[in-house]
Amino acid sequence: MNLPFRITHRRLAALVALLLCLPPTTAFPAADKATSEIGGFEIPKPGRKFTFPRDHGSHPEFSIEWWYLTGHLRTQAGGPFGFQATFFRRSTSPSHSSTNAPRSAAFGHQQLFLAHMAFVDVSAQRFYHQERLNREGWDAYATTNTLDVRNGNWTLHLSDHGATPTLLLRGSCFAEIAFELSLHPLKPLVAFGTNGVSRKAAEPSAASHYLTFPRLRAQGTVAIRGAQSAVTGEAWMDHEFSSSQLGEGQVGWDWASIQLQDGRELMAYRMRRNDGTTDPFSTLAWIQPSGEIQHLNANQFSWEVLSRWKSPTSGAEYPSRLRLNTVDPASGKPFSVVLQPLVLDQELRGDIGGIAYWEGACRVENTSGQPIGNAYLELTGYAGTLKGKF
Amino acid sequence: MTHGSTRTLLRLLWSRFSWRHATQAPLASALLVAILAIGVGVFLAIRLANQAAVSSFHNFTDLLTAESDGLIQAPAGALPESILTDLRQALGAEPVNLVAVLESTGTNPRESENEVIGARATFQLLGVDIVALRNLAAQRRVQTAAATRENLVATNSIVSVTRRKDLWEVLRDPHAVFISQSLAKAKGLTLDATLPLVINERIVPLRVRGILPTDPSQPEAPAEFLLMDLPALQAWTGRSGWVDRIEFVIEEGPRRKERWTAIRTQLESTAKQSSDGSPRWRVSSSADRRAGAETMTRAFRLNLTILSMLALAVGLYLVFQALDGAVVRRREEIAILRALGVTPRQIQLAWLIEATALGLVGGLAGLALGWVGAQGAVRLVGRTINALYYATSANAAYLSWTEAAVSLVLAVAASICAGILPARTAALTPPAQVATRGGSSTYAGGRWLRRPWIGISLILLGMVGAGLPPLRLEGGGRLSLAAYGSALCWAFGASILGGPVLSWLGRQGFRRETSVPIRLAFSQVREPSGRHRLAAAGLVCAIAMTAGMAILVGSFDTTMRSWIARTFQADLYISSDGAQSASTQNRIAPSTWKPIAELPQIARANAVQVAELQLPIGTTLLFGGDLEFFRTVTEPAWLEKPLNNAIFDPAQNKNLALVSESFCERFQKHRGNRLDIPTPSGVKSLVIAGSFSDYGNERGSILVDRAHFAAWFRDELASSLILQLKPGVSATQLRAELRQAHPGLAVYTNEHLRREALRIFRQTFSITYALELIGIFVAVAGLGFTLASLLWERRGDLTTLRALGLRRAELAAATAWEGVLTATAGIVVGLLASLALGWLLIERVNKQTFGWTLQTDLPWAQLALLTLLVLVAAGATGWIVGRWGSQLPAETEE
Repeated sequence: MNLPFRITHRRLAALVALLLCLPPTTAFPAADKATSEIGGFEIPKPGRKFTFPRDHGSHPEFSIEWWYLTGHLRTQAGGPFGFQATFFRRSTSPSHSSTNAPRSAAFGHQQLFLAHMAFVDVSAQRFYHQERLNREGWDAYATTNTLDVRNGNWTLHLSDHGATPTLLLRGSCFAEIAFELSLHPLKPLVAFGTNGVSRKAAEPSAASHYLTFPRLRAQGTVAIRGAQSAVTGEAWMDHEFSSSQLGEGQVGWDWASIQLQDGRELMAYRMRRNDGTTDPFSTLAWIQPSGEIQHLNANQFSWEVLSRWKSPTSGAEYPSRLRLNTVDPASGKPFSVVLQPLVLDQELRGDIGGIAYWEGACRVENTSGQPIGNAYLELTGYAGTLKGKF
Repeated sequence: MTHGSTRTLLRLLWSRFSWRHATQAPLASALLVAILAIGVGVFLAIRLANQAAVSSFHNFTDLLTAESDGLIQAPAGALPESILTDLRQALGAEPVNLVAVLESTGTNPRESENEVIGARATFQLLGVDIVALRNLAAQRRVQTAAATRENLVATNSIVSVTRRKDLWEVLRDPHAVFISQSLAKAKGLTLDATLPLVINERIVPLRVRGILPTDPSQPEAPAEFLLMDLPALQAWTGRSGWVDRIEFVIEEGPRRKERWTAIRTQLESTAKQSSDGSPRWRVSSSADRRAGAETMTRAFRLNLTILSMLALAVGLYLVFQALDGAVVRRREEIAILRALGVTPRQIQLAWLIEATALGLVGGLAGLALGWVGAQGAVRLVGRTINALYYATSANAAYLSWTEAAVSLVLAVAASICAGILPARTAALTPPAQVATRGGSSTYAGGRWLRRPWIGISLILLGMVGAGLPPLRLEGGGRLSLAAYGSALCWAFGASILGGPVLSWLGRQGFRRETSVPIRLAFSQVREPSGRHRLAAAGLVCAIAMTAGMAILVGSFDTTMRSWIARTFQADLYISSDGAQSASTQNRIAPSTWKPIAELPQIARANAVQVAELQLPIGTTLLFGGDLEFFRTVTEPAWLEKPLNNAIFDPAQNKNLALVSESFCERFQKHRGNRLDIPTPSGVKSLVIAGSFSDYGNERGSILVDRAHFAAWFRDELASSLILQLKPGVSATQLRAELRQAHPGLAVYTNEHLRREALRIFRQTFSITYALELIGIFVAVAGLGFTLASLLWERRGDLTTLRALGLRRAELAAATAWEGVLTATAGIVVGLLASLALGWLLIERVNKQTFGWTLQTDLPWAQLALLTLLVLVAAGATGWIVGRWGSQLPAETEE
């Protein structure tokens, strides 16, 4: 079953759409089924042999790519804090390379880079966030030989190319928040899909390559309004690249990455359709401590909204507390967790992308209310349908 | 007397003493108010026009940089893009937006082959990364919560526009341009409309991809403001890989100022990390940059402001005359008041109140006049600033409360100044002095007008001032404060000598055999009254100042004609057709100028390159050209001729330079001195081989060989191409061929360019001409006013003369002659003083301020015209006043 590929790909496409707000006809040319390309870009092919550190880097032969990190941190004296750092890359069709636009290495026009940074200070109940959009060039780029991504003063790169790579992340939210984290994988890299390809639908082009570090140890510093502290914690990272488009009929989605204290992770995604139903491509994936993945389909899990929160900024009403009901594959017994937002207002206003959405740190509780892990929850399509925008 | 009773008394004095007289002589009162209004109005008009010209410079950059905390620029030329990466690396995690900016200019294509230079408006093209602008807009929204005024119209606009438009399309369209609402309205441009613009040597069909919406909280983007994506503008201007400046916008957060200070320190230390230790960039703030523009034009504006006070200075004489005359005329009332117990102090106070009221009314009228005048003056000032300094789009001036207050204070202060002496005279008038009424106002104007030694002393004092050096301003500007002081001393000193000359004239012309009116006129001025002396003094002052300015302008004109004839000797001059002012950034690409230079019809070509340099004292211009061509074809006027020919040999002149006279004056350098200039290739140490006269700019010029210039600046974009044709080649025909092949190039024949250069030069003096005319008008109006006062005082005599059988025409002729005689004294002394003032303006003010040596040339025709105008006006005014005076009853109040 390849549902996770489909889901994450749609989420990727939606988030990339935040970057551009382009009509699908422009952003995603129709696939040529007879070829292995779409709009001049490659489509994921089964059997791809990932090589590292090269495949941590950029893949300009695909039109869409993103590096997504979230995590929960603590200082010795306080916390908790949550952070989100997302670097997007979007290319135009190579066929446009024949355009008469001036060629400039410093100010390119073939790729755009969007990035989102968010930070939540739970004890102060404050949420900080910033978006940034740059064209490829001097201030935004992603190298192709290894992981080295920049957008302004925000960077993500691989400091150690050996067997135990270390990622270095630097982010900020204006000059209020600054963080520098060293991220060390506690689990091996997971490549979703069959034979390296995550399919989302029957069409040959509807697929992606999807790589995840489901658990990383985070160490570093956080400065809140100039006051710097050492922090430690755990993080999650996705890296996905494809050239496909979002399907029809969807208005938004609810997505969560859950890190349980028992060493397992859950990734759940509910695609919401315009008639209010859950899309059949919705899925939930268990990642065992060994890194083994088990997928459950849309019928094997459910989301239950326990309370709602209305944004004073966008006016959107988001689910603020969710219960996720599924089956524990280890025991075969029902399994329920409640996702409790650490701060209610974790809405990204979409200052640049133009689409507001909620993405925030949550505490994971069992049915008795006991904390059993951390999560990041993403809720889109509540500030207006995303249909027609990507 | 209590305060309350003093107030009551003053109120009574005002209504029965001052106001009654004012209403009984409404014409005289109106004239007085008008003269004061003109003085204040001219001063205000120039001030407002100056401010508008400077603030319009702000607007262009403020649209983009209202939020920027600082910026860096190259010490010379442009910054290479690679610096951006270096800066980002150096700044590390520091949350700061780096906004690269490229500026250029462009104009609409010409509509007629015969149009004059400067006929088309110059557009200011700003190239910025339109994608990154979104980040600033997002930051602005964060700041909006704090209700700051720091919005970015351009940024907001681009965001709102590009949300609707396809950003990819805009990025890929090198013709995309964003225009202001005002341009859209003025030209009827809509989205996707084509806006053809001359940029460098091409006519570029720009496509309107967005119209910048207006924001009520922001200054509206001017019609001349065009926004383009940076790489597109780089490509069109042939400057790919270069930016003019990088602006820093510190992201919101605590201790913003301190963070910028730390970054600035870091930038300044990083700047010195070039291979030869020379700074790679200079750091400044937006305020510094605006101040730089102000500094650049400060001397020009101060000079203009001082000249604008000419009318006020002459006006002061008139106010003085009027108040003084009123004291004489109202002596009887003053005596009665004194007899009734009003103290001298209260009388003095009443007069000062009257002077204040006059100042207030004149000042208010001056505000209106000044505002109206400023609307015209702003174009004239803007034209000069465009021609000499930078692009300004000022076409309207605005009156602020501060300016209104300054003008009112000036009017009241001037009026009180002029009223102090008459008030004192009034207070000291003993009641017994009114035993007889009428009689001449012998002591009118105070005794100082009868003290020639005061005049001579002032002239001597002026001579001392004339020898003093100028005041050196920040940025290399100079202000001839001492010379202006000298001019004031000379003008007032000479005006005191007007009385003795009038008396001498009266004695010389008195003959028994002449007609009665003439004898009567001569007899009046033989022993000139204080009133006559005042009138003569006012005329001397006005004529000295206006004729002095005419001599300066005339000398300038002669010098320019001679310089143009010497300098413009090549056959064809080529520049971008977008080059419409000194501020143009349009250049000719080497791919265009090189093939032209190699045409078979060309005997020799000189491609000239130019860059602005920042030296420690201020900015100057560096030119690169063929120095041998410069020597042989343009016949430079050497001030310090090179001692040998090394400077003209590219193999030997790498470390040599020629400098203009303005440069020498401004930077105090001379032949043989060493000169360190910054270039993108590091600091170059040059030796000055010679200096020459140049009137092209007042910031100074350094000339080096073009080959070295091109190597140092790593570009070959030429600002102009000067061609000498082979014998027999028709310049007109080649010009037509070149225009057809390159519609974006302006090609001028020798004759055409000479004509245009002279026209532009004269255009820059249009405001001076306007000030001259106003000065003359005020002087002549003053003369009429004085004659009317004189006759009023002598109305008893006029009645007697009529009783003795003199007809009205004879009385009118007598006063006409009296006016002519007074004017003659004023003209004689005034013209003599104007020679001295002309010398002072040419040799001191002009030389010290602009560094230009001028060939003194008296504009005989202008001076003769001025003389004739004043004499005719004086005679005519005297005639009219005489006819009016002959009808006056012997006993009446004014």
